[in-house]
Amino acid sequence: MTKKLSVSILPLIVFILLLGFLLKGLFSDPRERDSALINKPMPEFSLPDLMDESIKHTAQSLTQSPVLINVWGTWCTTCKYELPFLTKLSEEYGVKIVGIYYDQNHAPEFGQYADIPAIRVEVKEMLQRLGNPYQYNILDLDRTLSLNLGVTGAPETFLIDADGTIRVHHMGDVNERVWRDKLAPVWNEMN
Amino acid sequence: MKLYIVIVLAFLVFVGQQVHATEDVVKFDSTKQEETYRELLLELRCPKCQNQNIADSNAVVAKDMRQKTLELVKQGQKKEEVIDYMVNRYGQFAHYKPPVNIATSMLWLLPAVFIVFAIVMLRRRSLKSNAQNQTSVASETLDADLEQLLDSNSPENKEQNGDKGA
Repeated sequence: MTKKLSVSILPLIVFILLLGFLLKGLFSDPRERDSALINKPMPEFSLPDLMDESIKHTAQSLTQSPVLINVWGTWCTTCKYELPFLTKLSEEYGVKIVGIYYDQNHAPEFGQYADIPAIRVEVKEMLQRLGNPYQYNILDLDRTLSLNLGVTGAPETFLIDADGTIRVHHMGDVNERVWRDKLAPVWNEMN
Repeated sequence: MKLYIVIVLAFLVFVGQQVHATEDVVKFDSTKQEETYRELLLELRCPKCQNQNIADSNAVVAKDMRQKTLELVKQGQKKEEVIDYMVNRYGQFAHYKPPVNIATSMLWLLPAVFIVFAIVMLRRRSLKSNAQNQTSVASETLDADLEQLLDSNSPENKEQNGDKGA
């Protein structure tokens, strides 16, 4: 009798499992995926400062202390929305924030070149208006550093510890909720 | 009419040059390299888009990946080396042929397990019904006996018996 019962409720169990699986899929974010770079060292680079080409930044100069790296661009609408919050993080919590400027248009192989002076003007204007969280911005014109970091677009945010190890790779904007749930625990542990 | 023909000819020459120009954008050292490059464009997946390979997508990251793939192939890197390069940066998501591990092997194993389970269940069920058929054969002979018994106890028979008895 108990054997018969277990066989007859088997379809129900399968159904409930399937239901749970599909329900989980319903609320998951398809863009959310595990980064391949967690716990890997910051890739080597040597790139100019956005505002002054004579200044060169490297992986060593970047990762002397825990740092939040924010990939952004003035063309990116979501980046505008996270600027005020990032500014609050840098001013109120003392988070060291460095920007990687991600330009979409630069493609020398197709004869397209970015207008750097125009970008500088746009950046200055936008940071004045919405807040400037950045200690400095790295100009990643051909997006090689971004490719090495597995960046798919902007905005994306990384937390790098003082050893130069990538601890968090977040795709999408940083807001109060993301900071509280995902970034702050790791940041506090790093400091 | 003459003018018309001249215009058409001029147009054809112009278009011909255009096609020629687009064909010559990418040059490879060998056909093998070109083949590898084409295969990689179809096999690598754009990490920004949900279901497009990097040949299909116009996203900036897909353009960058195409460019990097070209660069690596021209350096003489093998197909697997280029795939590893991308997977190390964008994860397994960036490759349309995921490796066999516990999670992905489930996709192959579960249907097989289901089929084996179904066969076992069907076999057990058919064995059971066979057994039932056998018992029903047995009950048929039993029924015949019972029928006889009932017949012998039916009122008619009783009457006959009674008559005999009387």
